[in-house]
Amino acid sequence: MIALPLASLVLVGVGSPLVLFGILAGASLVNRPLPERWTGVLAAGSMTVACAALASALVVAGATRTGPLLLSFGSWSSSRDGGIGIEFLVDRASLGFGALSAAIVGVVSAFSYRYLHREPGYHRYFVLLSLFVTGMLLVALAGNVEVLFVGWELVGLSSALLVGFFHDRPAPVANALRVFSVYRVSDAAMLSAAVLLRHTAGTDSLALLFGARGAPAIALTAPSATVIAILLIVAVAAKSALLPFSGWLPRAMEGPTPSSAVYYGSLSIHAGCFLLLRSAPLLAHSPAARALAVALGLATAAFAALATRVQSDVKSSLAYAALTQVGLIVVEIALGWNTIAFVHLAGHACFRLLQFLSAPNVLHDLHGMEETLQERSPRAVGLEVLLPDRWRRRLYLLALERGFLDNLLDRAIVTPFTAAARRLTRFDTALCEAVLPADRTLASDRTVARDD
Amino acid sequence: MTDPRVWLAIAATMPAAIILLTLAPVDVERLRRFAVGAAVAMLAATIEVATLPHTIAIRESALTWAAGGEALLRVDGLSSVLLPLAAGLWLLTVAVTPRASLDRAGLRRTALATLVTLASFLTESAVVLLALSVASLWTFIAALDAHNYQRRIVAAYLGTSTALFGVGVALLIAPHARGTWWDTAALWIIAVAALLRKGIFPFHAWVPELFDHGRLGPAILYSAPQVGAYMAVVLIVPRASPELLRLIAILALATSVYGAALALVQTSARRACGYLFISQSALVLAGLDCTSRGALAGGLIVWLSAGLAFAGLARCVLVLEARRGHLDLSAYHGGYDRTPLLAISFLTMGLACTGFPGTLGFVGQELLVSGAVDAFPVMGFAIVAASALTGLAVLRMYFSLFCGRRDVFAHSALRFELTRREAWTFIALVVTLIGLGIAPRPLVDSRLAASDTILKMRSFLHQ
Repeated sequence: MIALPLASLVLVGVGSPLVLFGILAGASLVNRPLPERWTGVLAAGSMTVACAALASALVVAGATRTGPLLLSFGSWSSSRDGGIGIEFLVDRASLGFGALSAAIVGVVSAFSYRYLHREPGYHRYFVLLSLFVTGMLLVALAGNVEVLFVGWELVGLSSALLVGFFHDRPAPVANALRVFSVYRVSDAAMLSAAVLLRHTAGTDSLALLFGARGAPAIALTAPSATVIAILLIVAVAAKSALLPFSGWLPRAMEGPTPSSAVYYGSLSIHAGCFLLLRSAPLLAHSPAARALAVALGLATAAFAALATRVQSDVKSSLAYAALTQVGLIVVEIALGWNTIAFVHLAGHACFRLLQFLSAPNVLHDLHGMEETLQERSPRAVGLEVLLPDRWRRRLYLLALERGFLDNLLDRAIVTPFTAAARRLTRFDTALCEAVLPADRTLASDRTVARDD
Repeated sequence: MTDPRVWLAIAATMPAAIILLTLAPVDVERLRRFAVGAAVAMLAATIEVATLPHTIAIRESALTWAAGGEALLRVDGLSSVLLPLAAGLWLLTVAVTPRASLDRAGLRRTALATLVTLASFLTESAVVLLALSVASLWTFIAALDAHNYQRRIVAAYLGTSTALFGVGVALLIAPHARGTWWDTAALWIIAVAALLRKGIFPFHAWVPELFDHGRLGPAILYSAPQVGAYMAVVLIVPRASPELLRLIAILALATSVYGAALALVQTSARRACGYLFISQSALVLAGLDCTSRGALAGGLIVWLSAGLAFAGLARCVLVLEARRGHLDLSAYHGGYDRTPLLAISFLTMGLACTGFPGTLGFVGQELLVSGAVDAFPVMGFAIVAASALTGLAVLRMYFSLFCGRRDVFAHSALRFELTRREAWTFIALVVTLIGLGIAPRPLVDSRLAASDTILKMRSFLHQ
C-alpha cells in the first residue's frame, strides 16, 4: 500500500527534470529556443516539483517507517526476458540526497536566470542543467546497475559540456575534453565493476549489492568483493577528483560560475562520495579496499588543503577547499561512520554552494573596501608558518603546480598511449600502401591525414 | 493491404524508377527531389513490411544441399528490420549530398546500390548473395572512377573478399560437401571473406584509407548497411563451429578496442570516421558468438544503431567539408553558432555510436554485455573499453569541428546554415536514434525473436 504513493512520488520526482530536458532539447533541435523568461520559469517549476515530490516521498517513508524498498517499474527495453529493468532503491539516504539535489539545482536555476541574462548560450545552459539533475536523481535513486550507469553518464557528459560552455575560446574546450577523459576512466571503472558483479554474483541489483540491512545479500568471495570495491573506488576517485585524478578540478572552473557551484562545489563532486556511501556494506567486507579509501581520502584532503592556499582565483581556491572536505568524507565512509558522512556531505554541499554563488559579490565588496581603506586586507595565516622555510618552499611549489598531477598522468598514460596509437596508425597506412602504393602526384591519392 | 509482397514490390520499385528516371533529360536538382520522394516512399513501405506479422519465403533447392532448399527471397524476423535500414540510408544519401557532388550518374548508382542492398537482405541463398556481392562491388568501383587510389583499394580488398566468398560458396554448394572437410573449409573461407569485407583485425587497414581518400559518400553508402555482417549471420552463424564463432568474436572485440583507440589520435576527420566505423561495426560480429540470445539480439541492434549513427556522423562530416574544405582535427574550427543543428546532430549521432544512454546504441551494447557476461565476460570488459575510447574520440571531434574559435571565416555573407532538406533529414535521424533508444521495446522484442530464429536454425543444422 505504501509502495504505490512512494512509486508515484519518485516517478514524478525523476520525471519532472526529464520532461524539462525533453522540452528544452526539442526546442534546441528545431532551432526554436524558448524565450529566456519561459526557460527560467520552466526550470524553476520543474525543480520545485521534483524537490517537492522527493521530499514528500521522504516524509511518507519516514512517517510509515518504511525500510529500504526496491521499486521496480518492469522491463523498459523488452516485454520478454532479459530486458533492461527500471528499478529505484528508495530509502532515507537516496530520497534525502535526491531531494537535496533537486533543491540545490532549483536554487542554482533561480540564480542563473539573472546571472546568465542575455548570455548567448543561455538556453544551452539550461538544457545541460536539466540533463545533469536528471542524471543526479538517477544516481541517487538507482536500484540497479543500468539506472546507475545512465545517471553517471548523464552527469559526466553534461559536466564536460558545461566546462566547455564558452566554446568560442580554445582553453575551455581543451579543458572540457580533459575533464571528460577522466570521467571516461570513471565510467569504465564503474562498468567494469558492474560486469564483474554480474559475472560473479549473477545480478545487477544494487539493492542486493548495497545490502538493505547493512550487509551484501549476495554471496561474493573475498577476492571478488575486493576487486569490485577497488573498481568502485577508482570510479569514485575519478568522479570526485580524488588523487591521482585531482588535476581536472581547476580545469573545470572554466564553466559559468553557477555551473561550477552546482557541479564542483556541491553535487557532482559528491556523487562519488554518495556512491561510496551506498557501497559501504560491500566496503565493509573488504579491508584492503577500505584501507585504500582511507589512504586516498587522507592524501586528497592534505593535498587539497595545501593547493587551496595558493590558488590565484577564487573559484579554484573554493574547489580545492571543497575537495579537502570530500577527502574527509571518503575517510569517514571508509571508517564506517556512515551517518556522519551523510550529514557532512549534505551540509558541505549546501555550504559550498552558498560560497560559490556569493564569491563574486564578496570579491566585489572586498575590492571596494580595499579601495576605500587604501590598503590590502590582511592575509590569513595557517599552520604552514610552523614549518621550516625550506619545507615551506617545497610544499608551496608542490601546491602551486597542483601536485604535478597532470604531468604525471600525461607521462604515465597519455603520452605512451598516443605514441603507440600513432605508431599503429602509421603501421596501418604502411600496410595498405605496401600492397597498393599511392601515386602522390595525383591529388586524389594524397593522404591528407598526418599522424601528429 | 496486409500482404508484405505488395509493400515489398513498392519498396523495390522506388529505386528502380529512379534508375529509369536518371536516363530521362530531367534537371539534376529536380531528379534529387524525385529521389528524396522515392526514398521516403520506400522507407514507408519497408517499415510497413517490418511491422506486418506475416513472413514470406520463396524456397528453391536447386542451389543448395540444405534439406527443403533455401529461401531465394524471404522476409522474416531478421531481414524485415534491415529493409528500412537500406531505405533510410538511401534517403540520407540523396537528401544531404552536397549540391556540388550531385550528378545524374551518382543518383543512378546510389539507387542501384540501394536496390542491390535490398535484394541482399531479402535472400539467404549463398549463390544469390555472391551474385549481389559482385554487383555491389561493381557499382562501388564505378562510383570511384575519378579516384585512382581509392578505386584500387576497393578493387584489391573487396575484390579479394568477393573472390574468397566465391570460392567458399562453390565449396559449400558442392555435391556431397555436407559434413565433410569441404564444408568446414568453405565456412572458414567465407568467414575470412566476411572479416575482410567488414574490416575486422587483421584485415582492417584498408577501411581508414578508403575513408581518407577520394569520395566519402559511396564509402558510407557501401559500408553502413554492413552486408558483410549479413553474410556472417545467414551463412556462417547457422553452420559454424563454436570455435570459429568464438574466434570471430575475439577478433571483432580486438578490432573494436583497436579502432576506438586509433580514432582518438587521428588528425583527419575522415580517417577518424573510418576507425570509428570499424570499431562500432565490429561489435555486430562480436554478438554473433551465440553465447546467448540476449547477446545475439544486442549484436543485431548494434547493427542498426551503428549503421544509422555512423552514416549520419559521416554525412555530417561530409556536409561540413562541403562548407569548409578539409577538416583537420588538430585545430579548432569553431562555427557552432552558425550551424547549431549540425553540431547537435553530430554530437548526438556520435554519442549513439558510442552507446550513450538514451540512444539506440545503449540498448544494443547493454544487451550485448548483459547477454555475454556469464559465458564470455571478456566481451563485457572489451565493450567497456571501446565505449570509453569512442566516447572520447567523438567528443574530441565535436570540439574540434564546432568549437574553440569564434568563427571560421571572415566573410559572414557565406552561407553556412543547413538547407531545409538537410536540416529535416538530420532531425529525423536524431529523433529516430533517440526515439528508438527511449522506447526500444518493439525493436528489442523483434530482435530477440530474430535471435531465437537464428539459434533454432543453428541447432537444426547441427543436429
